[in-house]
Amino acid sequence: MQNDYIIITNNPLVPEKIGKTHNVEYKEISYEEVLRAVRDRIHEGHTLLSHPLSGSVKPNETPYKSIMLSAGKGEVDPRSVVIIENAIEACGKFVLKSDKYKREVYDDFQMIDWTLLESAITSADVW
Amino acid sequence: MKLEMGHIYIKDIQFAAESKIEDGILYVSEEAVKAVALEDEKIKSVSFDIAKPGESVRITPVKDVIEPRVKVEGRGGIFPGVISKVDTVGSGKTYALKGMAVVTAGKIVGFQEGIIDMTGPGADYTPFSKTLNLVMVCEPVDDIKQHDYEKAVRFAGFRVAVYIGELARNLTPDETKVYETCTIKEGMEKYPDLPRVAYVQMLQSQGLLHDTYVYGVDAKKVLPTVLNPTEIMDGAIVSGNCVSACDKNPTYVHLNNPVVHDMFEEHGKTINFVCQIITNENVYLADKQRSSDWTAKLCKMLDLDGVIVSQEGFGNPDTDLIMNCKKIEAEGVKTVIITDEYAGRDGRSQSLADADAAADAVVTGGNANQVIILPKLDKVIGTLDYVTKIAGASEETLREDGSLEVELQVLTGATNETGFNKLSAR
Amino acid sequence: MSKIKVVHYINQFFANIGGEEKADYPAELRVGEVVGPGMAFNMNFKDEAEIIATIVCGDSYFNENLEKAKADVLAMVKEQAPDVFIAGPAFNAGRYGVACGTIAAAVQEELGIPAITGMYVENPGADMFKNQVYMVATKNSAAGMRGAVAKMAPLALKLAKGEAIGASCQEGYMPNGVRVNFFEEERGSKRAVKMLLQKLADKPFTTEYPMPDFDRVEPNPAVKDLAHAKIALVTSGGIVPKGNPDHIESSSASHYGEYDIAGVMDLTEETYETAHGGYDPVYANEDSDRVLPVDVLRDMEKEGKIGELHHLFYTTTGNGTAVASSKAFAAEFSKKLLADGVDAVILTST
Repeated sequence: MQNDYIIITNNPLVPEKIGKTHNVEYKEISYEEVLRAVRDRIHEGHTLLSHPLSGSVKPNETPYKSIMLSAGKGEVDPRSVVIIENAIEACGKFVLKSDKYKREVYDDFQMIDWTLLESAITSADVW
Repeated sequence: MKLEMGHIYIKDIQFAAESKIEDGILYVSEEAVKAVALEDEKIKSVSFDIAKPGESVRITPVKDVIEPRVKVEGRGGIFPGVISKVDTVGSGKTYALKGMAVVTAGKIVGFQEGIIDMTGPGADYTPFSKTLNLVMVCEPVDDIKQHDYEKAVRFAGFRVAVYIGELARNLTPDETKVYETCTIKEGMEKYPDLPRVAYVQMLQSQGLLHDTYVYGVDAKKVLPTVLNPTEIMDGAIVSGNCVSACDKNPTYVHLNNPVVHDMFEEHGKTINFVCQIITNENVYLADKQRSSDWTAKLCKMLDLDGVIVSQEGFGNPDTDLIMNCKKIEAEGVKTVIITDEYAGRDGRSQSLADADAAADAVVTGGNANQVIILPKLDKVIGTLDYVTKIAGASEETLREDGSLEVELQVLTGATNETGFNKLSAR
Repeated sequence: MSKIKVVHYINQFFANIGGEEKADYPAELRVGEVVGPGMAFNMNFKDEAEIIATIVCGDSYFNENLEKAKADVLAMVKEQAPDVFIAGPAFNAGRYGVACGTIAAAVQEELGIPAITGMYVENPGADMFKNQVYMVATKNSAAGMRGAVAKMAPLALKLAKGEAIGASCQEGYMPNGVRVNFFEEERGSKRAVKMLLQKLADKPFTTEYPMPDFDRVEPNPAVKDLAHAKIALVTSGGIVPKGNPDHIESSSASHYGEYDIAGVMDLTEETYETAHGGYDPVYANEDSDRVLPVDVLRDMEKEGKIGELHHLFYTTTGNGTAVASSKAFAAEFSKKLLADGVDAVILTST
């Protein structure tokens, strides 16, 4: 079990892939709610490890988001606060269309979100 | 390092029994290029088509755009580590077929993106409405994984471009340009009074469909490094990026990188163009810190006076851009950054997802959220099926009269962040 | 095609009535008259548009009788029903600039008639209204009249005709927070190289995207002895005694309030509320301590963690309030805080 970091996600593919080996908090919430959940954890002292706007697929275009946070807590990290706040603000810029696709497109969105997270995991697991 | 670029102007493309270039006309044997594309068993079928500037044609979903080139003298070949063997390129002589491009299209994921309109309002925004396009639409074998399909189409495009480029090997260029940079010491001696300038290029490197390759190496896994600026002209950097059509860099943009070319224009006159520095845009924040630290360190070690930093993509890379700018400025190196904006459809939102007072010199490629109506065109190469699912579009995009209401985001290269276009915003 | 109808607003000075001594001149409608700078506008319009009426108003009159003057001028404009309304240009005349901005914004917002004005970028009216109406940047004196009219007239015509307005640098208006695309003469990389050359030579250059304004304030050293410190509360969250006795505006506040909380242990629903219009007020109205934490500080006072809570608090609404106004408020009450021996301030926002 990987204990150095937490993954907060609304992408069902993530618990399916690594739910047993990683600390995955899966919630059936919106993209923006994932960001807000992460912000709350940052306020509690967790540090952001992956960029909340990972991927060029835009907020409100893809419904899925997975973000990596430190498992340990410390002083509130100001850089993490700035990044997550900017990310939440960015959500408002895009017209909501993540509920307008055909069924099979969601599988692709899940796959892309997973690969973005996977690239962060690859970097994190070097340590 | 010195590279002679021979330009061969292509005035028309026609299908013919035999592939050749004669009097500026590219004749393409459909059978031959199909065979080249189908060398990969993961591609089930491929169809070729030609789209010319001004025609009522829409190409979509576009994956990559590639300019055919051939290496006629000097080390290595086009696309080292990808198509040609690994060898340091950027010296000798290379020919490029100007005024044309190989365009790959095909659905890799359900929200696949990228439109090139050859006429109408959309054509004003995409730079590839001005090139004669040899378009290849690839269909994969059944049950293929997205990443295998992406790779197959990526490579098929390069193979076809190299095949077309080879047709020019024995031609005489219409125009020749010489690009030469000095070694560190030579440059100091030759241009003692000119400011030492470099180009810092950030490469998209976030994961599947967001990748860039340098000599075949996944850019996620490289530390910032130094390139001779002529290396990119032989295809040292290629695109594996399919997301965010408006501000991704197709391979065509890497080959013709406008910052490299415009810096060369000033080289030896107002600046000493020392080198190109490449860095990445990883998802993991510690990677960002390491890469921006290294980029700033290289700028310092090379005793640079100024740099231009270019970006690729939206959101995550804004953070890299600002980190790079801030750290390079902190080393006393003057910095100009190139980006594009997501200011919302009404233009009122904050344009970037990060900001810093050190970024006081910004060039912008425009607001990608701007809405544009694309009229119905007579012919579609590829499929409109996916247009409704591309970034900046939705299932409701298709209007009753057949026109599309989309954001600039969907147009290939529209808000390019290497400064490829004239579009800007205030 | 009939000509575009324009109503023009100017002050007593540009109407040749007089200077400061005539600044109390009340609003006056002159139907069919073209006065002062109006001539230049009419020339510039050629045959496309004409000024059908001029409104003249003294600067002191306008600013000292703001509500009445605004209502009177609006009524005059409404009666004339122009296609476009032009105020000024005001150049560097402060009160004239504020009047032009105020009335142009009001005409646009309340009458739905497009309006423009023009003034010098440092005119206080510029900061206050440039994001509300198209405001052409002019020179700092009336010597720049010709240039100002040359930019304002075509922009007014475009607005009247409902044509698309280009980017600020093309049309000559001050950047107003709305990003507009346009095609430059040169490609981006070329522009970047030129900008870098200017920067390297320490010559002026203009960024195409100004970073959001960071007015960073270096924090003071930490309070060493909190247990004996006098702490004050200041908020931009709009907390006021119930009923908002000083009528602090829900947005774009023009003033701040000073209120005594001596003996107040807790802010309750019955006694305090928020005047702020920029967030959902339900929770702040239910318990204003959520924004202005008087209850917690009283506890800390009792526990001896802080010396005392200052008996006055200062409040305004941060919502849309001009940075210049905020600075002016704080400059004023900071002196009071210092005079009252306050050691530290907790500033809350929303």
